[in-house]
Formats: sequence, structure tokens, C-alpha cells
Amino acid sequence: MKQFILRRLGYSLLSLFVLSLTIFFFVRVTGDPATLLVEPGASDADIAAIHHQFGLDRPLIVQYLLFMGNLARGDLGQSFYYQMPVSELYLSRLPNSLLLAAVAMSFSLLVGIPTGMLAAVRVGTFWDSAGKLFTLLGLSLPSFFVGLLMILFFSVYLGWLPSSGSGTALHLIMPAFALGWYFAAAHMRLMRSAMLEVLGSEYIKLARLKGLPQALVIGKHALKNALTPVLTLAGINLVLMINVAVIVETVFAWPGVGRLLYEGVSFRDFPVVQGVVILGGIMIIAVNLLVDILYAVIDPRIRLET
Amino acid sequence: MPTPFDGAPGASRGGSPPRATRRDVLGLAALGLIGSAASPAHAAAPAGQLTIGVHISLAPTWFDPAETAGIITPFLVMYALHDAMLKPMPGQNPAPCLAESWSATDDGSVYDFVLRQGVTFHNGEPVTAEDVKFSFERYRGTEHATMKERVASIEIVDPRHVRFNLKAPWPDFVTFYSSATGAGWIVPKKYVEKVGDDGFKRAPIGAGPYKFVSFNPGVELIFEAHDQYWRKTPGVKRIVMRVIPDESTRLAALKRGEIDIALSIRAELAEEVQNTPGLTLKAPVGSAPYWMYFPEQWDPKSPWHDVRVRRAARLAIDTKSINQALTLGFSHLTNSAFPENFEFYWQPPPPVYDPEQARRLLAEAGFPNGFDAGTYTCDSAYANLGEAGLDNLGAVGIRVRLRPLERASFFAGFGDKKFRNIIQGASGAFGNLATRLEAFVVKGGTYAYGNYPELDDLFAQQASELDRAKRQELLFKMQQIVHEKAIYAPIWQLAFISGVGPRVAQSSFGLIKGFVYPAPYEELALKGA
Repeated sequence: MKQFILRRLGYSLLSLFVLSLTIFFFVRVTGDPATLLVEPGASDADIAAIHHQFGLDRPLIVQYLLFMGNLARGDLGQSFYYQMPVSELYLSRLPNSLLLAAVAMSFSLLVGIPTGMLAAVRVGTFWDSAGKLFTLLGLSLPSFFVGLLMILFFSVYLGWLPSSGSGTALHLIMPAFALGWYFAAAHMRLMRSAMLEVLGSEYIKLARLKGLPQALVIGKHALKNALTPVLTLAGINLVLMINVAVIVETVFAWPGVGRLLYEGVSFRDFPVVQGVVILGGIMIIAVNLLVDILYAVIDPRIRLET
Repeated sequence: MPTPFDGAPGASRGGSPPRATRRDVLGLAALGLIGSAASPAHAAAPAGQLTIGVHISLAPTWFDPAETAGIITPFLVMYALHDAMLKPMPGQNPAPCLAESWSATDDGSVYDFVLRQGVTFHNGEPVTAEDVKFSFERYRGTEHATMKERVASIEIVDPRHVRFNLKAPWPDFVTFYSSATGAGWIVPKKYVEKVGDDGFKRAPIGAGPYKFVSFNPGVELIFEAHDQYWRKTPGVKRIVMRVIPDESTRLAALKRGEIDIALSIRAELAEEVQNTPGLTLKAPVGSAPYWMYFPEQWDPKSPWHDVRVRRAARLAIDTKSINQALTLGFSHLTNSAFPENFEFYWQPPPPVYDPEQARRLLAEAGFPNGFDAGTYTCDSAYANLGEAGLDNLGAVGIRVRLRPLERASFFAGFGDKKFRNIIQGASGAFGNLATRLEAFVVKGGTYAYGNYPELDDLFAQQASELDRAKRQELLFKMQQIVHEKAIYAPIWQLAFISGVGPRVAQSSFGLIKGFVYPAPYEELALKGA
């Protein structure tokens, strides 16, 4: 088991290293941040001063080594645009992203699980088709489109909800729905297929043969077993939600880390982009590592095979 | 001996005696309080809150004039929080603000400023000559090297009197000090030294009409009225700047009344504002002319080498229709590549749209069936303008392919002189005609792909000319040559469209020529307040 964990840890660190290399170099391919801080016609001296201020006049390898050295000390650098530590910026936005992700996840599970169950129990009927339509729309409609439509109807036409920003529970409703619908669709599909698989198993047939009520068969015996993969996916999706809500946070002006990433990209704020991506990567890799270890603990075949 | 003047409009700089024209008098009347003692004109207490939906993330560097970049957006905050010795104001540019008056020696090598009496920073400390000197010396923003190289020393004659000694006469000193840099925006020396630069950005103190209350980076900035502001007690007690990046969301917030002003609403959504009862559009024209540039005009093998081809391209663009379609007619159609509100601006003949004449010129130049002109490169944010230009050019036979590039890539490529055929560009850089010509026309200019010797000669002459009238003549001649040679094909000076909600009595848009944001902030007013 120890060897399994060490191996997995090694792969995780390697993944982080590759991620750091990738984001460091790719973000620099996007262009010179100095050109976005001055108007065309600015003097070469002004642009050179900005390069010097941000350390961009150093060789690339020196910049990378400094970046990694600072990262090892937990220092994500100073934002070019905000002129403050990236970690401070990130931590000021993270609670908002966590809140949004928690509400969106709750919505996705509260909708995805029952609709998946219903679709599986009533396979081939209207409910199954309705579930499929819900899934199709959730997976294919872009979140910015959903968001803007919701703003139009619920904020502008009906006046029920605030259009943007944060501060109250009402501010959460639309962004949580726009973010959560995609994941609700994913959870619904997985729940449906897991339920169908479980409902076809021998112990369920035995339970029915024993004369147990349908509600007990589905609600207790089938559900518990079908939930496992869904909750596993939900755990991984929660981390994704925190980090990929760029579009939703921008459309709704929600002050989260996704919007911070959007701002970093817009302004070629290399430290912000690097920091947000690295921290997001750490979260995702950590969750995957935990899931791998838990699986190995639950199922010894996994650690023996790998 | 210094030639004194109290900043009356029309008063010349660099030594000629002041002259007051009828326009000057009207300008002074419009200004009202310029030159008066430091007591607020309105004693009524500020009231209410006004919320502005901002299109761009607010940066803490904007709180510190020492770090002013050469872009207009920091002034959105600086006009609220800070004040300057001289700065563009309604009807006058530059107008005396913290400086009650200024004077210059005949040779333009010494500038004296007298501070307005009784003006204080938000923390109650008086604004003194020490603060003026300190603010200049700590300035490290755009063109700081130019300023520092040219100023030999700064003397504090007395607490209200500061003197700038230049190394050599520099006719553009006031332009750079008042509007091309942040060096003339004054911060409290004692406070900055106490809290440091980072501390100052976290809790800035200025002498402007509004005091800093709080800032959530990238999210929201809150100001409160500075009751003792010298020019006028602000009408609105609290201003909230809320960042809403998405344009449609900004419009929705405006329609719902969540914000009172929505900055940057483009044409398709601007029509929606026009059609909504209670909302109004404001569209001040900025200092950024847009144009087509012909980087191959110096290549004898290129069709663009022939001035008739360049003039044909200029005649082919239907700027009026494009203006109506893309900016609802608000942009200012111009036949000059330089901002109309800049000092030394020469007024060219009005723009002409004549595709028939364009075809005739092309035929005379040897292209009766037009020609394949390669690529039309532009900033992707203005690809819609590029598409319209491309269509117009195609209609007369100049066939081009649109090549929109993301902003940073566009300006990098432009400056590295990588583009060919046609470039659609713009510049809102601060300065005056001389600084704009230097960057875009003269040999060695950052964005000049070639040069004409006669223009270089004229530029060298004007750079050392101290007589303003003669200098103007030289700069006018340069602009005339640029026009005659059709080095650029101007399109418009872009209007910055914003929406204003029903609660706002005075939005301050358009009060300062060439400034696209609401200012002066002390003029903002809510209805019923």
C-alpha cells in the first residue's frame, strides 16, 4: 500500500511539474503584457520600464526558475495588474467560488439524482425522454447563453432576481443554476445508467422475489449501490466547479477565482494566470490522488494491479 | 522675467503676452469658479449614492498618480480621488486647479506655480509646495524619463510657490505636466512617507472631490464626497464603482436600476438603451482617431506607393454609414489622423465619400479593374469596423482579406513593423500633435513604417522652436503634408457610448473635451437631491 501511495504521489508531483512548465510557457506565448498597459505611441523607454518592473527582461529560464523557487515557498508572485500578491487575491475570491460551487453542486445532485432514478425506473417512458432532453440541453447549451437568457427573463423582464454581483442568497440563484445544469445533466446520466445496472442485478431480483415493496427495493437496496459512482463523480466535479466557472462568474460578475482567471488572461497578468491554474491543478490532482487511494483501500485488487 | 498669467484661456505659454478673446470670456463664464479662492461654491451637503457599472477591472495602481500609465482608464479614478496642479477641465485645457496661477519665463526654461490657498488633502493636511515637489520626484509612470531628464531642479520658493527649472527650454512642459503624465497630480508627502507606496495604494489620500472608502480588487470601489473640495462641494455623497465585465449584464443592471451609469455599451445594445424609456445614451468623443495606414507606400513596387491609390482608398470608405451602423452616428467623422482636441491640431477639409472618384483614381494609377491588396490587419475588438472598411474597399476594386488579431498581438506586430498592405489602427496616447507625429509619422517613430524627409525636417525645426505661433505653423504644415500624401486614411474619432439611468440629473459625460468618462465628479448630480 505504501508503495502504491508513493507511486501515486510521484505521478501527482510529475503532473504538477508538467502543469507548471506548460502554463508558464504558454501564457508567455500569448503576448507582451506591457502593450496592454500603454497606448500605442508610447515610448520604448516606457515599455522597457514595465518589462524591468515585472522581471520580463530576464531570460526565460531565469524567470521560470524564480517562479518555481517562489512556488516552492508558497509565493505565487505579484499580480502585474493589481500590484498585490496573487495569493492574497486568490484567497479573497476563493470563498465566493466555494459558495457558488457548493450551491451549484447541491442543485446538480438534488436534480440529477432523482431525475436519473426516475428515468431508470421508468425507462422508455415519457419520464425517461424528459430526462434525456434535460441532459441534452444541459450538456450542449453553453453556460453563458443560459446565464444571459436567465438574466433577461428573471432580472429584466420579471424583475425577480438581481442581474449580477453578490451579497444575498438571491444573487446566488441564477449563477448556481447556470453552473450546475451541466453537472446535473452529467449526474443524471450516470445515475440513470448506474440504476439500470443495479436494477438488473441478481440481488435486486431476489429482493423482488422476496416480496419487498418496490419503494424499498429502489430506495434502499438499489439507490445505495447506484449512488457510489455518482458521488465519486460529484466529488471530482466539485473541484472542477470551483475552477472552471470562468464564464458564469464573468457573466454574472460573481467575484470568484474563475473571474480572476478571466481578468488575468485579459490583462496578460502572468502571475495571476499561473497562480490560479497551478492552485486549480493542485486541487484537482489532490482530489484525484485521494480518490485513487480510497479506491485502493476499498478494493485491494486496484493496488495489486497497479 | 516670468510672464505671469492666471491660466486664462487663450493666454499663451512660453512668453507671449496673454490675449483674451470672446471665446475666452465665455469659457471663463462656463467655468465659473476657476481662479476663485478655495471655498466650495455650493454649501448644500452631498446626498445619495450613485453607482457606476464599470467595464474594466479597477487596478490599485490607478490610485497612485506616480504610476500613471499612458492610457485613459486610470483617470476614471484619478479625477475622483486626486487633483492636479493643472488638468483638462470643462472649457479649458489645461485649467488651473491646485495651482491658482502659473507663469513661465520668455525662453520657457523656468515655470513658476502658485498654489491655491486653503486647499487640503482628505486627511486635512494642507497642499503645499513640498507635496508638489515630492509628487514630481516620485513619479515613475509614463514618460517619467522624459520629465526627469528635462527638469534640472525644483525649488520651493515658499509653501505656496514652487519653481521648475528646466535644463533647456521645452515648449511642451505644460502639456506633459498637465495631461500627458501624472507628474502634476499631487499626493501628500507626509502620508506617503509614513505608509509607503504599497500602503498608499491600499488607503490612498488625495485632494480630489471624493475620498477613498473601500476597495475590493476587481469587484468594487467606493468613494465618499470630500465636503471641503475647493472647487465645489460634490452633489452626490457616495459613488460606487462596480465592475461588471459583461456588456449585456451591465445593460441589464442599468435597466433594473441596480446601477445608475453603465460604461461602454456598444452599438447593438446602445440601441436598446435608446429604446428604453427613462434611459439615455451619452457618447463623448475620445482622443483616439481611427485610420487605415499603408505601410507599403515607400515600396516602389507596391500599388500603395502611388498616392492616387491611397487617395482612392480614402475616398472609398463610407464613414457616415459606418458611423451610423456601428456607433449610432455618435463618432466624430474626421479627415485627420490626429485628435481634434489636441494642441496644434490643423483642421483639414471635411471627409469625402466618392467611390466613383476612387475608381477613376485607381484607373489613372493603372488599376482599372482594381487589384488584390492582401490583408487588412486590425485589432479584433474593432473587427466590425474592419469588415465595413473591407466591404467599401472591395466595392471600388481594392480586394483585401480581413485579419483580426487580439489586441496585444496586434500592437506588438504593429510596433515590430511586421504588417503589410493595410493596417487599421488607432491611438489614444496622451500628448499633443508633436508627440503623435513623432510616434506615427517621423523617421524612427514606433509605428512609422517609413518616412518622408520633408516631414522629418519640419519636425526637427518645430522641436526647437520656442515661438508658439511659428511652431504651430510648422506643425500645421506637417499635418497638411500628411493629408496631401494620404499617409493615412482617417475614419473617425470614436465615441465612447455609455448608458445613464433615470435617477441621474447630471452624468458629467462630455464636459471635458476628449475625455470619455464622467468628469468632473463634483458636477455629478442625482434628481431630487
